[in-house]
Amino acid sequence: MWKYSKKLMDHFMNPRNSGQLLNPDCHSEVGSPQCGDAMTLDIQVDDEDRIAEIRFMTFGCAGAIAAASALTEIAKGKTLEEALTISNDQIVEFLGGMPEEKYHCSVMGHEALSLAIADFRHRRDNTAEHLSSILREMPPGLAEALENRSLGIEHIHPLRIRVRLSGGDEEIVTAVLEDELQKRTGKKVKVRVTR
Amino acid sequence: MKVYLDNNATTRIAPEVLDAMLPFLTEKFGNPSSFHSFGSDLMEDIEEAREKVAALLGAHAEEIVFTSGGTESDNMALTSAITINPLKPGLVTSAIEHPAVLETAEHIKSKGHPVRLSEVNSNGTLNMDSLESCISEQTGLVSIMMANNETGVIMPVEEAACLAHKAGALFHTDAVQAVSKIPVDVRSSGIDMLSISAHKLHGPKGVGAFFIRKGIEIPPFMLGGHQENGMRAGTYNTAGIVGLGVAASLAVRHLSEENGRTGLLLEMLESGILEKCPGAVIVGADAARLPNTATVLFRGVESEAVMTFLDIEGICVSSGSACSTGEESPSYVLAAMGIDTVDANTALRFSLSRYSTAREIDYVLEVLPPIIEKLKEISPYVNR
Repeated sequence: MWKYSKKLMDHFMNPRNSGQLLNPDCHSEVGSPQCGDAMTLDIQVDDEDRIAEIRFMTFGCAGAIAAASALTEIAKGKTLEEALTISNDQIVEFLGGMPEEKYHCSVMGHEALSLAIADFRHRRDNTAEHLSSILREMPPGLAEALENRSLGIEHIHPLRIRVRLSGGDEEIVTAVLEDELQKRTGKKVKVRVTR
Repeated sequence: MKVYLDNNATTRIAPEVLDAMLPFLTEKFGNPSSFHSFGSDLMEDIEEAREKVAALLGAHAEEIVFTSGGTESDNMALTSAITINPLKPGLVTSAIEHPAVLETAEHIKSKGHPVRLSEVNSNGTLNMDSLESCISEQTGLVSIMMANNETGVIMPVEEAACLAHKAGALFHTDAVQAVSKIPVDVRSSGIDMLSISAHKLHGPKGVGAFFIRKGIEIPPFMLGGHQENGMRAGTYNTAGIVGLGVAASLAVRHLSEENGRTGLLLEMLESGILEKCPGAVIVGADAARLPNTATVLFRGVESEAVMTFLDIEGICVSSGSACSTGEESPSYVLAAMGIDTVDANTALRFSLSRYSTAREIDYVLEVLPPIIEKLKEISPYVNR
């Protein structure tokens, strides 16, 4: 048996945030073809760009499972920017140390997290591109509802956007944008309007 | 509750063995090679042990050489026997041998000897066509294990010996895992050389034996003394050898008296696992196996994680997972059978002994299934 710390054993036997999310905002799968370990991450991101929910699944030894559990605990509540700075050393330290031979087990979590965040950014960029092309093309219904007022983008999430209107018909603007976004992204994107 | 199911790694010393050894670790400390009777009288104990080991193998006492264990016996067989006929420098062995054979074969190869490895079938049995095609006129030695340490699959050594002899080659078998678990008879099996280890059959660690059929001359492996007719130098490990002798006698007795008891417990374990852990696969299920060994794939669940839980519950088993052995890849034995890396990393080996009890098996069957279930719940392979 490896000499594992009490905290690591606790995270192995009672992993935090294990499982899957029903509707994750982003997802990643990583694996080490060499040793066969594998891991998935599901993340939900709130409108402040913070990790609101995170779930992992791991095929690996006690060290790998505990490291994944620790990673989710550290990452939860952090902004995506902050989460990207989480290091392997931080995970190991959080667990009260890890046998040196097992350090590589913590690497997978790090990789899964950066991939999931990249996946989130990719999805967000996709929504943003569609939104800007809608605004560029300005479909007739939207131009009418805006009544020559300006529309500013406040926040973009892959499935939720927040825009600011200086006037116009709020309900129609929302309906047209949601309709166009659904057509173009194939997903239901919720639009919220602020004044 | 402590449940030791890792008997292919090592076994507990039988109380009878320990009792027999103790005098040789205390008052009877003489050197059997000494002139004075305080030492030389102990030679009788050595010879008695030799008779007992010979009886276990169906050999003559003078065909037994004491060594430091299975690894030395394997090293001795390969490195010494490969040199005796310069016209036949080739070695043929199999892909699933113990490292004591495989790494020695690698060393022999580096010295310029042709070395060929026979393949195995997907159930872990030796692929006889492959073995036959590896053997040529050049082959001087064929070494095939009697049973595999990881899967327990029994190899057809008689047939392999026959193929070796047909080509004029000698035949060696690493019988470390097989001896004491299945009947062995070197005469009827056509075995020229055989390796055994005491600690796998309830004897002490650090002692083993090498059988070499009368009439075969190989150069000594260890130099520096006249012991064992010059075949193996080094002061006699009296206590160890005496222990091996008693362990051999006990093995003979248990083979006939207890025949089938360990096998029944193994059957109970296997059927219990298959029933309570859906998706579990017994490796080499359709092959003839040692009555004490089962390797099981708990697909989707990494075996070291399972072992860690089992360890907490007092259950000792082993795994060939990459992580637990510190190797870069999991079991080469399972890989040779065509089992992929992910599945190989789910393999757990249970190896019983004559000291195993039904209560222990019941305990494992109570503790193990919830562990597998718990780990399955967080496995990306199961929930894909």
